[in-house]
Amino acid sequence: MSQTNSEILRAEDLHTYYGKSHILQGVSLTVGEGELVTVLGRNGAGKTTTLRTLMGLTPARHGTINLFDRDITRWPPHKIAKLGVGYVPEGRKIFGHLTVHDNLRVPAARPGTWTLNTIYDLFPRLAERRSSKGANLSGGEQEMLAIARALLLNPKFLMLDEPSQGLAPVIVDEVMHTIRQMRDEGIAVLLIEQNAWLALGSADRAYVLGDGRIVDSDSAAAFLENKERVKALAGASLDPAGTQ
Amino acid sequence: MELLLFNIFNGLIVGLFYALMALGLSLILGLNGIINFANGSFLALGGYLAFTLKPEIGFWGALVASPLLAGLIGLVIERGLIRPLYGRDPLYSLLLTFGLAMIIQTMLRMTWGANGLPFKVPDFMSHPLSQTYFFLTGYRVFVVVLTILAAGSLFALLQFTRVGVRIRAGNSDLETVSALGINIYRLRAVNFGLGILMAGLAGVLAAGRLGLTPTMGASLLMPSFVAIIVGGVGSLMGSVLGGIIIGVASGIVTTYYPAASQVVIYLIMAVVLIVRPRGLLGQEGLLE
Ligand SMILES: Nc1ncnc2c1ncn2[C@@H]1O[C@H](COP(=O)(O)OP(=O)(O)O)[C@@H](O)[C@H]1O
Ligand SMILES: [Mg+2]
Repeated sequence: MSQTNSEILRAEDLHTYYGKSHILQGVSLTVGEGELVTVLGRNGAGKTTTLRTLMGLTPARHGTINLFDRDITRWPPHKIAKLGVGYVPEGRKIFGHLTVHDNLRVPAARPGTWTLNTIYDLFPRLAERRSSKGANLSGGEQEMLAIARALLLNPKFLMLDEPSQGLAPVIVDEVMHTIRQMRDEGIAVLLIEQNAWLALGSADRAYVLGDGRIVDSDSAAAFLENKERVKALAGASLDPAGTQ
Repeated sequence: MELLLFNIFNGLIVGLFYALMALGLSLILGLNGIINFANGSFLALGGYLAFTLKPEIGFWGALVASPLLAGLIGLVIERGLIRPLYGRDPLYSLLLTFGLAMIIQTMLRMTWGANGLPFKVPDFMSHPLSQTYFFLTGYRVFVVVLTILAAGSLFALLQFTRVGVRIRAGNSDLETVSALGINIYRLRAVNFGLGILMAGLAGVLAAGRLGLTPTMGASLLMPSFVAIIVGGVGSLMGSVLGGIIIGVASGIVTTYYPAASQVVIYLIMAVVLIVRPRGLLGQEGLLE
């Protein structure tokens, strides 16, 4: 278990609603400095809602969120982002009518290693397509663009919502490689995945979400030792061979 | 022939007022998601501010300062009154801007009187440039040039500055813009102010052409909505094009059948809605 010395994120007893439906029913989780933590769970478990709550997009009605030693529970998204949080939303949410380059000019750039130039070095494909409209990119290119956009904030903490969704296996490998690269550079990562085997292969720790509650958590290594445990908790769609 | 040209040119000038107003309306509809019925009153406010400022800082000073001042007032009103209504039933903001239109209009009447006031433009601009084409006064040419400049600057701002890029991004997905660290409350206020600035500029220009009355903007408001529909909702270029088209069409009809000069505007709208519901430059899928 790679429980690190200092926590950057501590969420406690989060309760989130969409109107009257009570979606998150007491979610608590932590992320340590430099850690890659994954949140698993089947479709509709509340993974996206968890990230949206942490990002301030769908604020929690009860519970507290501490980030970088600050209580950000009632903060608006832009203030949270400016603390150094990169958010790669579900479905990428590329600005389709904007060019790649303009997409990269939207974020409130914080000073740091990531600038337009270093981003184009990291993702040469985006440099090639800088004048293309976001909507005309392939799924993989869009995912890279969404990650690039978040990196321009020079985040200390990166949250990604199912980055592998709808991508070809080769591209998924590339995306996962980039995510590990970021973790290795010291960025803490909270990665949401439906594909448990994929996420556990890269993560330090994992939480399993079921019906708006954390139903299990352990080191990634411990989960990987016991395949039945993952299958039982997260559903049959998580077969390592992908025989869904 | 001269009469036709005269009316076409007149129509073009009025069309440019529609265009400026429609640009402001489109901006505000796009990012703020509000149909701003107060735009006409802000237009009049711009004109009256220029009327009051001109003796102090001259025509050119007033031309620059009044739209800016109107924009600033718009920005403050957005922060105070409109901001609490985002995310609610559109009916609220509709009612609010409608009420705002009335309040501003009444304030104009109380401050400057209900009667029309003249707004004199510098002498050198008020003379015809040509004997044959007597209607080609310096001022009218000036209005054309200035509208092109203003619309051009707005497009450049949206295309090339970061604020502009963020406004365009926010038009489609404001939430993601906020998650990328942008204060969308401020962005919306700036955008609203920018829209009012365009209305204020239209007000100063229209004052020099039509004079001032508290209701001067009200008569330009409906055609500006039509301009947006004809040009295509969501397309700023469309708003300009729509304004010019209905202005010129109205001018042409004035020559032959003056009684129908306003009706033709709505006729064009009806035809566009039937033949091409998205408008001339509107995006596919928005309305069809
Ligand atoms: N905007 C919304 N309004 C109402 N219910 C929603 C909304 N978004 C998600 N839900 C519901 O909340 C639950 C959790 O959704 P979500 O967080 O998207 O799950 P996951 O990301 O794990 O698939 C689901 O039952 C879903 O139907
Ligand atoms: Mg989800």
